[in-house]
Amino acid sequence: MTLADLYSIMPIIITAGAALVVLLCGPMLLSASLTAIGVTASAAAGVWAALSTPTSTPAVAGLAFTPLARFLIPLFCFAAAITLLLSHSYNERRGIKGEEFPATVLFALFATCVLPCATNMLILFLALESVSFAFYILVSMDLSRAESGEAGLKYLLLGAVAAAFTAFGFALLFTGSGTLQLSGALARPENRAIISAGWGVILVGMAFKLSLVPGHLWTPDVYQGAPAPVSAYLSTSSKVAAAALLLMLLGLSPPMPELRVPLAALSVLSMVLGNLAALRQQNIKRMLAYSSVAHMGYLALALLSGSRDGYAAVLLYGAVYTAMNLAAFGAISSLSVEEERELITDYAGLGFTAPLRGGVLALAMISLAGIPPAAGFIGKFFIFYSAIKGGAITLAIIGILSAAASAHFYLKVVAQLYMHRGEAPAPRPVSLAEGLALCLASLMILVIGVYPGPLLGAIEAALH
Amino acid sequence: MTSLIPILTLLIFLPLCGSLLVFALRRSEAAARGVALAFGLAELALCLWPLALTGEKAAGAPAGYFLYQDAAWIERFGIRYTLGMDGISLVMTLLTAFITLIAVLSAWQVKERAGLFFSLLLALQAAVQGLFLSLDLFLFYLFWEAMLIPMLLLIGVWGSGRPVYSTIKFFLYTFVGSLLMLLAIIALYLMHGAQSGSYTFALPELVHTSIPYDLGLWLFAAFLLSFAIKFPLFPLHTWQPDAYCDAPAAGTLMLGSLLSKTAAYGLIRIAFPLFPEASRAFTPLIYVVAVLGIGYFAWIAFAQRDMKRMLAYSSVSHMGFVALGIAAWSPVAVSGALLQMVNHAVTTGALFVAVGMLEERADNRDLSGYGGTWGKIPVFSFFFLVFNMASAGVPGLNNFVSELIILVGTFRVAPLAAALAFLGTILTLVYTVRLVQEVVFGKEKKPLDLKDLSLREAGVLGVMALVVVALGVHPGPVLDLFRAPLEVLLKP
Repeated sequence: MTLADLYSIMPIIITAGAALVVLLCGPMLLSASLTAIGVTASAAAGVWAALSTPTSTPAVAGLAFTPLARFLIPLFCFAAAITLLLSHSYNERRGIKGEEFPATVLFALFATCVLPCATNMLILFLALESVSFAFYILVSMDLSRAESGEAGLKYLLLGAVAAAFTAFGFALLFTGSGTLQLSGALARPENRAIISAGWGVILVGMAFKLSLVPGHLWTPDVYQGAPAPVSAYLSTSSKVAAAALLLMLLGLSPPMPELRVPLAALSVLSMVLGNLAALRQQNIKRMLAYSSVAHMGYLALALLSGSRDGYAAVLLYGAVYTAMNLAAFGAISSLSVEEERELITDYAGLGFTAPLRGGVLALAMISLAGIPPAAGFIGKFFIFYSAIKGGAITLAIIGILSAAASAHFYLKVVAQLYMHRGEAPAPRPVSLAEGLALCLASLMILVIGVYPGPLLGAIEAALH
Repeated sequence: MTSLIPILTLLIFLPLCGSLLVFALRRSEAAARGVALAFGLAELALCLWPLALTGEKAAGAPAGYFLYQDAAWIERFGIRYTLGMDGISLVMTLLTAFITLIAVLSAWQVKERAGLFFSLLLALQAAVQGLFLSLDLFLFYLFWEAMLIPMLLLIGVWGSGRPVYSTIKFFLYTFVGSLLMLLAIIALYLMHGAQSGSYTFALPELVHTSIPYDLGLWLFAAFLLSFAIKFPLFPLHTWQPDAYCDAPAAGTLMLGSLLSKTAAYGLIRIAFPLFPEASRAFTPLIYVVAVLGIGYFAWIAFAQRDMKRMLAYSSVSHMGFVALGIAAWSPVAVSGALLQMVNHAVTTGALFVAVGMLEERADNRDLSGYGGTWGKIPVFSFFFLVFNMASAGVPGLNNFVSELIILVGTFRVAPLAAALAFLGTILTLVYTVRLVQEVVFGKEKKPLDLKDLSLREAGVLGVMALVVVALGVHPGPVLDLFRAPLEVLLKP
C-alpha cells in the first residue's frame, strides 16, 4: 500500500475518522462544535473526492477509488453536510441530545462512501448493510416520540428481510461464477440460470431498499416517524446508494434481457401506485414518501433500458433527487416548532410568514413536479429520453401521465403556502445553519435546472 | 452595431431582471409599482427597435430571420440557446410588451402584496417573450412550461371566487398536454438524430425530418393536444371560464391576451411546419372544432349573466377564427389568423380591463347590477362601446379586418367551414349588443355611485382604443411584416 493508495481512499478515512472523533470526544465538546466537525469533515471528504483522479486498481483489498465513486462521494457528502446543518437546531428544539446523532450520520456517510468504491461483493454487501444499520439507529433517534421508535422497528424488520434477500442473491452470483470479484462474478455465461436467479433475488432486495412497489410498504411509516432531517438523509443517500449498487452490478454484467420484464413491472407499479397513493395523503411526509416511491419508479424506468444513457439518467436523477428532497425535508424540518407540522394544511400561509423556507419548500415541490426551470425537469427529461431511446415507449407514456397527475399533490402544497391563510403557530426565525443548508439545496436545484452541462460532463466521466 | 447588442437576449432578460428588482423592492409598494412600470416601458421601447432592422439579414440565421442569436447550452443533447426574430416574432413580442404594460397599469390598484404581483407579471412576460423568440424546440418547451408558475400564482393568490380550484385546474390541464408534447419532442429529436446523424433541437433542422405517416399522426396529435388546451379549442376549454373569471383583472388580461396566443403561435411556428402531412390529415378536425367553437361559445356567452364569464366565452369564440385561419394554411388565411391574434389580444384584453374597472367600482360583475352607465360615466361608456363594436366586427375597427381576411382565405379551401363561421359572427353580434344594451343603455337597475375614469384608466383604454382604430383602418404595415416569414413557413 503506497501513499497514493492512501490518498485515493482519503474520503473514506476522513469520514470514518471524523465519526470516531465525534463519538469519542462528544461528551467533552459542545454540540455545536460536534456539528461543525461533522460538516467540515463531510465537506473536506467531498472536496477531496471531487479533486482526485480515479483509478481502477484497488488501493486496499476490495476498495478502489473508481470514477463512479468520484461522482457519488461528493453527492453523499453534500447530503450528509446538509443533514447535519439541518439537524442541529431541529435536535435542540426536539430535545434530541448527545453526540450519537452526528456520529451516526457520519458513520452512514462513511458506509455510503465505501459502497461505490467496492470491487468485491462482500465489501459491497457490508457497505450496503452498514448504511442501513446506521439508518435504523437514526430513524429511531427521537426517543421522546413513540412513532420514531415504531418507525425504526418497522424499518429494521423489513430491512433485515431485504438484506437476507440481497445476501442470498450475492451467494447465488458467487455460486454461478466462483468468484467474489465484481468484475469477474458477473460475466460468466455458462451458469446463466444461476446468475439470473441471483439477479432476481437481488432485485427483490433492492425493491425494498429503493421502495419500489411492492417493497414500498415501510416507506410512508418510516418517513413519517423519523425526525425530518433523518427523512431528508434517508430519502436521498440511501436511495442513491441502492441505485448505485444496481448500476455497479448492471454495468459489469453482460446485457440481461431477462431483467427487463421484472424491472418494467416494478417501474410501472411504482410510478402509478406511488403517484396515486400520494394524491390521497393529508400528511406531508407520507405524501413525500409515496412521491419517492414514484420517483424511484422513474429511476427503474431508466435502469431497464440497459444503455449508457439510462445509467447516466439514473446518476443525474440521483443528484437531482438529492437536491429536491433535501430542500423539501429541510424546509419541513426548519418550519417545525415543538411538534412537526404534519398535515399539508399546517403549512397554510407560511409562504408569506416564513418567506425563505416557504419559498424553498415551494421550489422543491415545483422541482419534484418536474416544472422548469427547476432541476426536476432536466431529470425527468433525461429519464424519459433514455426510456424512449431504449424503446420503452408505452412505459414512458404511462410514466409521463402519472407524472402529470403528480403535479396535483405537489401543487396542493404550493397552494397551501401561498393561497390559504393559516392559523398554525408561526415558525421560529430561521437559524444560520438551516438557512445555509436550505440555500445550498435550492441553489443546487436551480443550477442543475438552468445549466446542467458540467454535471452531465461529470456523469459521463463517472461512467467510464 | 446591432450585431454587438444582443437585442433578443435583452428582450427576455430585461423583464426578468425587472422581476427580480421588483421582488427585491416588494416592501415598498410605490417603488415596486414604479419600477415595474419603468421596465414595462423600457421593454416596449426595446421591442420597437427591431422595427428599424427588418431589412437586415443576420449572420447564420435561417431564411426570413433578421435577428439571430445562437450559443451552445447543454451540449450532451445538442440543446442550444437559439433565438431568432422574423416578422411574426416581432409583432408577437411587440404585442407582449404592449399587453404587459397595460396589465401593469391596470393592476395599479392592487393593494395586497403588490410587489410580488408586479414581479410575477414581469416574470411571465419574460417567459412569453422567450417563447416567441426561441428557435430551439427544447428552449421553446422550457419557456412554454415556465409560463405556468407565475400564472398559477397570479390566479391563486390574487384571484376571487374559487381561485385555488381554478388555478390548479388550469395548471393540470395545460401540464398534461405539455408533458405529452415533451414525449413527442423527444421522439422527434431521436428520429431526426438517427436520420441525419446530428442530434439537435433546432427547429429549422427538425423540419427536414422524414416521419412515417402513422407515427407522424401520433406526434402531431400530442402537439395539437397541448396547443389546443392552451388555445383553448372545443372541447378542451373547460378550464378556461373558471380561470378567466377567478383571475385578477391583470391576470385575465395576460391569460386571455397572451397565453392563448402562445398556443396559436406554437401551431403556426412548430406543429404545422414540422408535420405537414399529419397536419393535413387533422385539418378537417380542426375546421370542425373551430367552427363549432365560434358558434357554440358565442351561444353560451349569450346565456351568461356574469360579464367576465361572458367575455371569457366570447374570447374563445373569437379564438375559433384563429384556429380556422391556421387550419386553412394558406398565406391569406394564416396572415389573417396572425392579425386576428393581435386584434383579439387588444380588443378582448381591453374588454377584460374595462370590466375589471367596473368591478373595482361596484364590486359586481353581474349584468343585472348595471344599466344606464352612459349617463353616469360617459367616458367609460364610450370606450366600452368602442371595444364591444370592435368585438362584434364593425367595419373600420380591427376585428372586422382580420375576421374578413380569415373568412376570405378559408373560403377558397373550405367554403363550408367559412360559411358556417360567418353564421357564427351573427351570434357574436347578439351577445355583444345585449351586453352594451344592458350595461351602457337601458335603465339603471340598482342605484350605483360610480366615478368616471381616472386619468390613468382613461389613458389605458384610450391607447387601446387608438390601436383598435389604427389596426382597423390601416392594418397594412402589420400584414407586410407577416409576408416574408409566411413565405418560408408555407413553402410546399
